[in-house]
Amino acid sequence: MSVMKRRKKEPMGELRMDSTADVAFLLLIFFIVTTIFAAEQGLTLVLPGKAKEKTDTVKVKESNIATLFVQADNHITLDRKPIEVNHIQIAIEDRLLSNPKLVVLLKIHPEADYGRMIACLDELRLARANKVSLKTAEK
Amino acid sequence: MNFGRSTGSGTFIPTSSMGDIAFLLLIFFMVTTIFREESGLPVELPRAEAGEEVNRELVSNIYINREGQISIDDRLVQIKHITDIIGTKISENPQLIVAFKTDTYTDYGVVSDVMEELKEVNAVRVFFNNDLEGSPGQKY
Repeated sequence: MSVMKRRKKEPMGELRMDSTADVAFLLLIFFIVTTIFAAEQGLTLVLPGKAKEKTDTVKVKESNIATLFVQADNHITLDRKPIEVNHIQIAIEDRLLSNPKLVVLLKIHPEADYGRMIACLDELRLARANKVSLKTAEK
Repeated sequence: MNFGRSTGSGTFIPTSSMGDIAFLLLIFFMVTTIFREESGLPVELPRAEAGEEVNRELVSNIYINREGQISIDDRLVQIKHITDIIGTKISENPQLIVAFKTDTYTDYGVVSDVMEELKEVNAVRVFFNNDLEGSPGQKY
C-alpha cells in the first residue's frame, strides 16, 4: 500500500527523447561504415590490340618461350609434357628462376573449357609470370 | 545596461523530434534506393585465387553461358554485333574494361571469338570474372 501512495505524489514519469537522434545517427553511421558492396573479383589482362604495323609485334626467342597447351579434352601440357593444374605454378616459378626473360604462351584449343583456361591463367598469376601471351589453337 | 537577455527564460529548441527526422530520412533513402543490377545470363563463374578488383565504373559486362549465348546490357547479341556495341562504348570511354562473366564449361572458342572482335575495336583491357575467394568448390 505504501508504494501506491508514494507514486501518486510523484510527477508523471517522462521518457527522455532528446537522445534518440544520437542513437539514430549512430546506427546510420555504423551501417554506412560497415557496408561493403560485393566486389567483383577477376583476372585482368591486356589484349595486344590491332597490330597496325609489323613493328608492333615482338619477336621472342624460342628458348625463352614456355608453351602451356590446353587440349580439346581439357588435358594440359607444358612444353609437350603432361602437367596437372596445381603443378603449373611451381613448374613456371622454376622456369622463371632459371630464365627471367621467360614468356609463357598459353595456347588453348577452342573446344577446351573456359574454366580450364582461367585455372591456367590463375596459376600463371600466382607464379608471377607477367609475360603471358594468349593463343587459340587451330582446330 | 540590460539588453533584454535575461528577461526571457532561455531560448529552448525542441530536440525531441530530431530522432524522428533522422529515422524518417533513413527510411526514405532505404525505400527509394534502387541498385542498378544487370540480370545478364546465369553463369557459374570459374574459381581463381589471384583475382583482383577493378573499378566498377569502367566495367562493361559480357555474359556468356554454357550454350555459348552472349548477352551485353541485358540483350542477347550475335558475335558480329559486338564490334558495334563495344565500339560505341569505347569511343565514349577509352578506359573501358570489358568483363567476361563466362561459365566455366563454355567452350573457349566462343570467348576467343569475342576477344578477336574486341581487338578489332581496340578494347584491349579485359577482365575475367571469377568467383569470390572462400566460396565452396574446387578449381576446375
